[in-house]
Amino acid sequence: MSGVSSPVLLQLEPRGGHPAVTYRQAGDRAVLVEYGEMEMDLTLNFFVLAVDTAVSTEAPDGVIETAPGFRSMLVRYDPLKLSTSDLLTHLSKVHEGIPAQQEIEIPSRMITLPIAFDESQSRAAVERYVRSIRKDAPNCEGANNIDYIVRYNGFSDREEFYEAVLATDHWTGFIGFFPGLPFMFPIDPRHTVVVPKYNPTRTWTAEGAVGLGGPCYAIYPVESAGGYQLFGRSLPVYDLQARNEVFREHPLLLRPGDRVTFERVSEEELLSTWEDARADRYRYRIEEQPFDVGAYLELREKVRDEAEKWRQRREEAAANTPVP
Amino acid sequence: MRGGATIEILKPGVQATVQDYPGRPGMLRQGFFPSGAMDFFALRAGNLLVGNPQNAAGLEVTLGGFSARFETDATMAICGAPAETTLDGEPVALWESRRAPAGSELTIAISPGPGFRCYVAVSGGIDVPQLFGSRATYTMGGLGGFEGRALRAGDRLPLGPAGENGQPRRFNETARPHYDREWEVEAMRGPQATPDFLTDADMQQFFGRSWKVDRNSDRTGVRLESHRFEYARDTGGVAGGHPSNILDNPYPVGAININGDLPVLLGPDGPTAGGFIVAATVVHAALWKVGQLRPVGDHVRFREVTIEEAAAAEQELETRLSENSLEPA
Repeated sequence: MSGVSSPVLLQLEPRGGHPAVTYRQAGDRAVLVEYGEMEMDLTLNFFVLAVDTAVSTEAPDGVIETAPGFRSMLVRYDPLKLSTSDLLTHLSKVHEGIPAQQEIEIPSRMITLPIAFDESQSRAAVERYVRSIRKDAPNCEGANNIDYIVRYNGFSDREEFYEAVLATDHWTGFIGFFPGLPFMFPIDPRHTVVVPKYNPTRTWTAEGAVGLGGPCYAIYPVESAGGYQLFGRSLPVYDLQARNEVFREHPLLLRPGDRVTFERVSEEELLSTWEDARADRYRYRIEEQPFDVGAYLELREKVRDEAEKWRQRREEAAANTPVP
Repeated sequence: MRGGATIEILKPGVQATVQDYPGRPGMLRQGFFPSGAMDFFALRAGNLLVGNPQNAAGLEVTLGGFSARFETDATMAICGAPAETTLDGEPVALWESRRAPAGSELTIAISPGPGFRCYVAVSGGIDVPQLFGSRATYTMGGLGGFEGRALRAGDRLPLGPAGENGQPRRFNETARPHYDREWEVEAMRGPQATPDFLTDADMQQFFGRSWKVDRNSDRTGVRLESHRFEYARDTGGVAGGHPSNILDNPYPVGAININGDLPVLLGPDGPTAGGFIVAATVVHAALWKVGQLRPVGDHVRFREVTIEEAAAAEQELETRLSENSLEPA
């Protein structure tokens, strides 16, 4: 029996305008690098993306790959070629070279996607879950997850929740889970919505389903398991067969740094657009639009009080809502 | 060269797929776990026996109930979970290579265990096209292997050019892995196995107890049984109400995350990221065992090891997976 050892390898205080860093051992071939505290602070993700770009552009021998998360980055390495301590030294050097937030402009695209709320595929997934996995899940009362999101956040009704989804652009922080799934976060903090995940998880979700877990939105790229509360459906975001021209260069629609804005449509319209997209008749709406971090920081400051009021109202409702 | 040489699937059984090793690493950032043989020890041993490079693709047969016909002369070896195996009705020993003449029929009965998967290695390897550098099937993404899916009766798989076929060989018994109903799997504390997420008692429970393998297990993940952890926090805060929730982050291969109250060991087709704490990570040298955990009936204990012990285990595994382990049959 080995001695008990902490997976935390090193912790560094914030300095020079950079967030605190925690290095966590993640098995014998990876280190999880975590930035700042566990809070919904998008600037942590901007920092992650900057570090990720810097590490992958000039990867030292022994680094196999990096994968960004919201406020973290997994670095897979070959410990026979690169010792853990040399890896940490290298990463610390990279951190020092990242410019201050205000000066960062992130390459970004604005992508407008249709969304149908409360459509039949999401309801089917919930019904299936209630039937085969958990009957008494509070998040599935009424055979949908939307009422639970409404209740957990203290919205007055479903429409107020839909408004929140439509009112802000969503920041693609990273790609993961299954091929091409975007983890997206509201850019305007006045429209943050938070909800617990499934417990236990679903075994089936429709392709294109849109869900919320914690403060994070996702579009499911393939039929798969899932833990997010489902509330609507959008278009395909992954297609290896490139049935639409948007996938011809790359099978994934979204990349970190992209922004998504949703446009409300009926289920009928969505299904017809879905067909058009598959038949290569629909053109995905994409605009190049670099993201100015300085301007974002100004907006965040301007709406701080309003966002804080909303947060308090939300948390009051959450405290009175059962958790799955 | 054997232009157009094939093997035809007659019965795929529960699930048979084309797999190689190490699959498709380097694509985590796009949401792809590496796929590849779940028990890479057995596939690599099979490749050694038939004279293939260790990254050649073979067939991963889940549970058994499998049959196929060779449409060309080939050398083959079956490694993995024990099952009654015959070639044209004649018994075939596992962990040994032998000639399979053109037209001969291979059958693998349902495996009584211990173990859950066996691997068919064929000289020349299964020569489906490479995608992103690998022939491994990833059914969830509908890619790789044979048409991106599990095999069906009637599929005819191309074989690559075989090297020189030597005498029948055997994988030395002392070098073979031990299969059991009660597994011990080496793991390190996971990135969130710290007092801010899980209590000492939680971690003692995790490494101390034996976990039942759940029936809902597959290549995406092996589910264990529900367990109420104490947790160091009351809630997941901004990441969600449950204390197992964190802001979504990337997972390492072999992660055991706490999914609500359910620990899940992430398999080679698993999710690359998610919002659950990771209590432990199976070390690379022990990952092959996950492919042999049999849903319903098997139990697993996790033994905590250091990174140095993991490196030593890795070295030992590589030593066993070498020509030195082969002997004439």
